[in-house]
Amino acid sequence: MDLLTAVFVAPFLDMAGSPVFLAEVVIVGVLTGVMYSLVALGFVLIFKASGVFNFAQGVMVLFAALTLVGLMERGVPVWLAILMTILVMIGLAFAIERFMLRHLVNQEPIILFMATIGLAFVLEGVGETLWGSNVKALDVGIPNASFEVGGILLNEFDLFAAASCAVLVAVLAVFFHYTTIGRALRAVADDHQAALSVGIPLKTIWVIVWSVAGFVGLVAGIMWGARSGVQFSLSLIALKALPVLILGGFTSVPGAIVGGLIIGVGEKIAEIYWGPLLGGAIENWFAYMLALVFLVFRPQGLFGERIIERV
Amino acid sequence: MQLFGGVNDNGRRQVRRFFGRTGLTRRGHEHQPRSTSPGGASELDTLPKLLLDNSKRLADRPAIREKDYGIWQTSTWRQVLDEVRALACGLADLGLERGDKLAVIGDNRPQLYWSMVAAQCLGAVPVPCYQDSVAKEMRFVIAHSEARFAVVEDQEQVDKLLEIKEDCPKLREIVYGDARGMRNYTQPFLHRFADLQERGRRFDAENPDFFLAEIAKGTGDDIAIILYTSGTTGQPKGVVLSFDNVLVTARNAAEYERLTENEEELAYLPMAWVGDYVYSVAQSYTSGFCVSCPESGATVMNDLREIGPTYFFAPPRIFENILTTVMIRIEDASWLKRNMFEYFMAVAKRAGADILDGRRVPLLDRLLYGIGSVLVYGPLKNTLGFSRIRLAYTAGEAIGSDIFDFYRSLGINLKQLYGQTEAVVYVTVQPDGEVKPDTVGVPAPGVEVRISDAGEVMYKSPGVFQHYYKNPEATAAAKTEDGWMRTGDAGFFDQDGHLKIIDRAKDVGRINGGTMFAPKYIENKLKFFPYIKEAVAFGDKRDYTAAFINIDLGAVGNWAERHHLAYASYQELAAKKEVYDLIHGCVEQVNRGLAKDPQLAGSQIKRYLILHKELDADDGELTRTRKVRRGFIAEKYTVLIDALYGDADHCEVETQVTFEDGSTGTVKGDLKIGDVGVSPAPAA
Amino acid sequence: MISNKHIGEVLLKLEDISLSFGGVQALSNVSFEVREHEILGIIGPNGAGKSSMLNVINGFYHPDEGRITYKGTTRKDMRPHEAARQGIARTFQNIALFKGMTTLDNIMTGRNTKMRRNFLWQALYLGPARKEEMEHREAAERIIDFLEIEAIRKTPVGRLPYGLQKRVELGRALTAEPDLLLLDEPMAGMNLEEKEDMCRFILDVNDEFGTTIALIEHDMGVVMDISDRVVVLDYGRKIADGSPDEVRTNQDVIDAYLGVPHDIPPDTPPDDTPHANPQP
Repeated sequence: MDLLTAVFVAPFLDMAGSPVFLAEVVIVGVLTGVMYSLVALGFVLIFKASGVFNFAQGVMVLFAALTLVGLMERGVPVWLAILMTILVMIGLAFAIERFMLRHLVNQEPIILFMATIGLAFVLEGVGETLWGSNVKALDVGIPNASFEVGGILLNEFDLFAAASCAVLVAVLAVFFHYTTIGRALRAVADDHQAALSVGIPLKTIWVIVWSVAGFVGLVAGIMWGARSGVQFSLSLIALKALPVLILGGFTSVPGAIVGGLIIGVGEKIAEIYWGPLLGGAIENWFAYMLALVFLVFRPQGLFGERIIERV
Repeated sequence: MQLFGGVNDNGRRQVRRFFGRTGLTRRGHEHQPRSTSPGGASELDTLPKLLLDNSKRLADRPAIREKDYGIWQTSTWRQVLDEVRALACGLADLGLERGDKLAVIGDNRPQLYWSMVAAQCLGAVPVPCYQDSVAKEMRFVIAHSEARFAVVEDQEQVDKLLEIKEDCPKLREIVYGDARGMRNYTQPFLHRFADLQERGRRFDAENPDFFLAEIAKGTGDDIAIILYTSGTTGQPKGVVLSFDNVLVTARNAAEYERLTENEEELAYLPMAWVGDYVYSVAQSYTSGFCVSCPESGATVMNDLREIGPTYFFAPPRIFENILTTVMIRIEDASWLKRNMFEYFMAVAKRAGADILDGRRVPLLDRLLYGIGSVLVYGPLKNTLGFSRIRLAYTAGEAIGSDIFDFYRSLGINLKQLYGQTEAVVYVTVQPDGEVKPDTVGVPAPGVEVRISDAGEVMYKSPGVFQHYYKNPEATAAAKTEDGWMRTGDAGFFDQDGHLKIIDRAKDVGRINGGTMFAPKYIENKLKFFPYIKEAVAFGDKRDYTAAFINIDLGAVGNWAERHHLAYASYQELAAKKEVYDLIHGCVEQVNRGLAKDPQLAGSQIKRYLILHKELDADDGELTRTRKVRRGFIAEKYTVLIDALYGDADHCEVETQVTFEDGSTGTVKGDLKIGDVGVSPAPAA
Repeated sequence: MISNKHIGEVLLKLEDISLSFGGVQALSNVSFEVREHEILGIIGPNGAGKSSMLNVINGFYHPDEGRITYKGTTRKDMRPHEAARQGIARTFQNIALFKGMTTLDNIMTGRNTKMRRNFLWQALYLGPARKEEMEHREAAERIIDFLEIEAIRKTPVGRLPYGLQKRVELGRALTAEPDLLLLDEPMAGMNLEEKEDMCRFILDVNDEFGTTIALIEHDMGVVMDISDRVVVLDYGRKIADGSPDEVRTNQDVIDAYLGVPHDIPPDTPPDDTPHANPQP
């Protein structure tokens, strides 16, 4: 009886008792969720455009952040460092196309997936060699003051992160749906050979999509890095992006966003209100449990394309 | 006889009451406020004169729209006049003369509508033909109407005309709208629509007074149009209508239903059908509203959504198809949506029709209906393209009450009307607020209706046609000496003075013992069940009613899947015991319905069987419009009928069928016969 | 129909094309030409090398030997997206559409070769790119109108029936406004009515746009009806080339189609290849 109360009644009483606190928890959750979304977005882009599940996306986030910090440590001004990092990410996209993808055209998805695992190791190694393996602070000058609205504590940095994420998503959505190049990207994702026959240059498309994913990775890297420092554990947030993708659907940009938010908010609320009951640290596995539930009931995710096999 | 006596009285009372309200008129248009133009110069008694008036009065308002290359292209009244003027002058230059016939063939296209009016400007008579008829069917209409000119949509229709041209010596010039595929046609009598208009503009420049002078020559007595009705038997008959017929009727109805220039209408039904001529041309011209032509036959549902008509007509079949689509989509929708739909549709069923008719509804229901409007009805109507409908008609055959109620409960003012080509559509119409699913309403404005002693519905109206073209016998058979028009339908007035049509008068028979037997009425009741696709009832001069039934392969197949019944073919499914049980329930329900009506209680179905094959037009069992050919079927399946009226509980049969590629084969079956209990008639 | 078609100069010339996969010789020393505005039918029993021939023309396969002269330029082989840019469009035997995209989007991808601005321009400057997009849309709508597929404009092609997918695929090839259209079994798997429609569209394309068409088709009746000229391949060799009537009466062709054993060339594999099932 006590247990039932503790699980089903007490947490809700707590929430009702202190709505301001609840709001703060939700906001923290939303902002964490935004971060997850950013990482997941990189996955979705590449998956949508090339059907490849890019295991290296997490490492790309790390690599971008490392490059940025490394450049800044060597005295490059912030804006120039960001610009240079973008160029590095584009260069990386070219390299990936030239040395990896070009040789794997028309291969099974699993082979491409294996290739991205390899890529993850290579990138991690190269990053470590170039920039060292210490934890580094990243300060790109995003304001970080706190202020109160209606008794709720807000942080400028978090709002900035949320806003940039929103802009990024809007731009990407327009890009994919309303531009010729977006259509070409989707075409390549659908059928390589047919895309070639209508004159879509496959190489260019690969480079573009990996560049965009690299750019999204950089944004994610800046946000995470500025918040909790640039370190190798950053590549592990890729693992958190997985449940986000399962929730949102692998092919949906809005899905990545909503999925990220649900997981972010869900795990914070679970941690605060139910955590003590289960000895804490729910945050670490809550997302995976949620993903598991989704896999059973809605395998295509919230927004993913419905899997319909036609005879 | 008691029934008809009583009904007759009711009917007359109804007629009297109606005319008491509006005044009995012999010439309806004298009472129209807009029958003369503001200048008082000439009476607006022909469509070309109306067009002239509209081009001044409504000048830059939209008159007609067409979706082309994915975009709606609008023409204003002023532009329409320009187009028609160029066209009329071109046709005149090409030799079209007063009294000539001009065939119009194609899907609903502005160019074709314009050519009808252009012909009328010159005193020529448009003869629209069904665009999907094959060359052979078209030959009869073209030859019989002695059309000298034809304006057609595209290559497809040109090819048909070229095929029959030798048999139609009068046919001289052919104008086509769409030049696609016409590159290699070099015949001198073929003209491109645009070229003809160009020619017309030159002619107009040389003879600037010609066009208006020609229009001024027209009067209301002139023949406006000849519409060929596709008779179920024999050759089509050309219904000759004068401008007075068309315009008086169109105006009466428009005034009755308060149509304005702000209506939106979608012209998607065949141009050769009288309804399209009245709604998309006559009323558009009298009321001044805009008509939209769909992109193609297949895009109608989509175009409907984009246009959002306020004034809409569809035969019951279309309303039924739309409902089926909705139901299928709901089945596939998420749990939440499905439940929400079901809950609010129940609310709508309870309160929707009453709210629409302005009756009192409990506050709670009204509130729930409001919520439902936001959550369900509104979005649903929006997807269907029905959100702006102010007036929707259905006619042609009986509509299932479930289907009818569904639309009305959503707040769509769907009404039934009863009409004929010979009456310019309107005979009876359901008044707002007095709508019942099983009647067709009260006499339309200006129409007088009575029931003959034989039970046949007859009417008199300003819309009654002139005559059948070159067919005086048929004219004499249809019109009595004193001007009453026979409908050929049997019916009666109910206690509220609403007309109820039960069948074709010639099909109504008697069961031995004297009970009236209305086969189509019974068949329709059966067909209202989604599981039953076709039904054929027998009973005239028999001891009881018996029926053949065709199950609906889609609906029953679906049902069978849900009940884990395996089947490989229609025949196998139709023979299943479970399916018989399912149909048995439907038949019993029909019997209960029949039992309620004292006159029909004796015609309840006692025995039935489910046919081993689907009735098919290719086998001659249905007409091309999918109406059952009862006589033919009775002859073809004598064995089965004998069994139904014997005491066998099954019957073996072998039938020849025609496959899609034209080859033939045989289908054998051993059919079970079902016996149904009869519900007691109410104590009289 | 009275045809006043004017068949022009040589558009594509193939000389001594040979192609092999591993040990299998798919094409050996095949030469023929395609002239402007004509419809050329390529026929032959299964495994005769017809599809390989199309793949060579649009650059999916690179021949081991031979020369290709297209629009006056001679080269050893073509590259797919280069071929597309040079005005060669094609359809595939097993429909290669973008299944998740709508009909309209599929057809719009056909405009890729018509893009005046490069990709980065497209991404950065919405204004001029938008105007260009409108022009492409108009071109796509004309094709949609031409093929009478207005009703499925917004339907994902994966949900369409087979016959319509074939039509959409033709539409995608047509929006590229090709000079040479390659059709790989455009009527395979269709019913009679769909075949008639497709025939009409092919003839109309040829007639209205003057497009040169090279098509592979199994249905002999269809090929003989609509082709101006027919090339017959068997065992990767050309065995006949001429008007439908000439080809119909050619003894080699009759033998090939009836499966009469004939001199097997030394470089062709024995009868366990797909060739073992000649078409009736």
